[in-house]
Amino acid sequence: MGAQLRLTDLNLRFGGIKVLNDVGFEVEPGQIFGLVGPNGAGKTSLFNCISGHYRPSSGSITIDGEEVLGTAPATLARHGLARTFQHPALQLQATVLENVLLGAHTRLSGGPVEWALRLPRLARSERELRIEALTLLERNGLGWAAHRRADELSHGLHKGVELCRALLSRPKLLLLDEPAAGLPHSEVEQLIETVRRIRHDDDITVVVVEHHMGLIAALTDRVVVLDHGAKLMEGAAAEAQSDPRVIEAYIGKDAADDVA
Amino acid sequence: MSSITGFLSRAWVRWAITAVVAVALLVVPLLFSEYTNQNLARIGVFAVAVLGLNVVMGYTGQVSLGQIFFVGVGAYVTGYGATHDWNIVVVFLASVLVPGVIGLVVALAAARLGGLAIAMVTIALPIIGVPLAKRLSDFTGGSQGLSSAFSNAPDWTGLYNDQWQLYLVIVIGGATYLLTRNLVRGKYGRAFAIVKSNEAVAASMGISPYRYKVLAFTVASLIGGVSGFLYMAVIQFTSPETMTFSHSITLLASMVIGGAASIIGSLLGGAYYVLVPQWSNDINPNLTELLQGALLLLTLFLLPGGLVTLPREIARRLRRSRPDGGPERRQTPSAEPAPGREAVEETPTVGGIPTQRPTERQEQA
Repeated sequence: MGAQLRLTDLNLRFGGIKVLNDVGFEVEPGQIFGLVGPNGAGKTSLFNCISGHYRPSSGSITIDGEEVLGTAPATLARHGLARTFQHPALQLQATVLENVLLGAHTRLSGGPVEWALRLPRLARSERELRIEALTLLERNGLGWAAHRRADELSHGLHKGVELCRALLSRPKLLLLDEPAAGLPHSEVEQLIETVRRIRHDDDITVVVVEHHMGLIAALTDRVVVLDHGAKLMEGAAAEAQSDPRVIEAYIGKDAADDVA
Repeated sequence: MSSITGFLSRAWVRWAITAVVAVALLVVPLLFSEYTNQNLARIGVFAVAVLGLNVVMGYTGQVSLGQIFFVGVGAYVTGYGATHDWNIVVVFLASVLVPGVIGLVVALAAARLGGLAIAMVTIALPIIGVPLAKRLSDFTGGSQGLSSAFSNAPDWTGLYNDQWQLYLVIVIGGATYLLTRNLVRGKYGRAFAIVKSNEAVAASMGISPYRYKVLAFTVASLIGGVSGFLYMAVIQFTSPETMTFSHSITLLASMVIGGAASIIGSLLGGAYYVLVPQWSNDINPNLTELLQGALLLLTLFLLPGGLVTLPREIARRLRRSRPDGGPERRQTPSAEPAPGREAVEETPTVGGIPTQRPTERQEQA
């Protein structure tokens, strides 16, 4: 079951700079929710607040009704939150399969002593997980790369591996930070298919930060537009694209007047 | 090359290799001279110390300059227990747990600090350890040191002392190697590796960097304690000199030369620690340190991954010198048949190769 996410009056400051200003919205379970806005609007900072990497100065973040503000990222991950990063951070020396297996860390039981003794139970769970990871890679068109080193693959494929890594943790809430950045057109279409399938098959709530308006329009149920750290509007992607305030934020007031 | 790794990855081949190695280890102490046996036992002692250092530094990326301190504490606890006629099992457990607890406490404080600060805290350990060992003469025998012949061969074995001690090292050190090898693979190996390379990603995978640094540091000090026990068993004497800072640095150099984040590399590191000073001493006693420094630099330039990467480096150079480039595929042992050639042809249909370089395409939000 996908998680419900609610943000209320979220503020984030770095010294004197207000990065987020009273941002609030609600994501229903199973939704694909878009977070858009020009460069520097605070989208990634907002993501970092949700995933626990930044600590907001005030406000509230709840997942399934439970307050998670100030919770360490590692704890949040254990409670069903997974994310990808703008720049895929893979272990370049390790194989693709090892990279994906990392995502399942929280699903593997056993403490260090048990793993040092390599109890049969743990060896079995590791084997089962390998098969599951291979299947997941296969499903995302990366099965052929499983035993290759990550540094042999292209940037676009790294993004796919990172997504698989996040999925193997079986998240309830998945945060995708600019999944289409730097992808050629063909791969963006494939990404859209993949995210749709994830939502359909695995029933995950997805929040996606993206510049690529085509992707946002094709994928999201609802979007929030951020500008200068504040919420500009909320609605369907099509409404956002035609909203004069959004156009103004993206291309400037004068240009917006010219368009009108 | 790939046919060799393919052959090695077969289950029965690996079992056979394991059996041969086990038999060889059991026979070795009976074959060689006393001098060789003592040398091998010393290599084992320091190979275990380097292994511990590798857990915290090679695998988890936390600079530790205090590993020798834990070896020293382990040796002192062993010496103290043995001279007070404790049961040998109790001696062993104490010699491992006391350094382990000290390591845990130090790590709880030090791992809160980032990067170089951890290194600074660990420098303090041997620096404090030496005068402390001199002061606490009731426990440590002061500057005179502590000696104990607890590890002489029991009569029922019919073995010479050097043989018995080498058996101790092989059994206890071997068990430590096996346990550590298991730990640094699978769940904990992956967690250590991601803490080393990217703490933000580690955290988003549910891995608390702090807890895993503390864990790695504690494991390293436990293993240091094992090394200390074996040290006392083989050398039968310890003094404040055992844990001087310079020994810690030599351990670190041994780890790098053997191969960081490698089990076999730790073993090679132990051999380096014991054998190279002997060799350089044989060549010219006045140039010992110079020769060691030269060897360190040579290894770093020619084999940045340590001696353990030597076969791989040779294979890579041979491949390069072939006109067709040779088979470029790298394979890892796995039950899954390598998808092989057709996999390469599939690539374009998966999405093709990006047309631009990554650095040009990345945008900041």
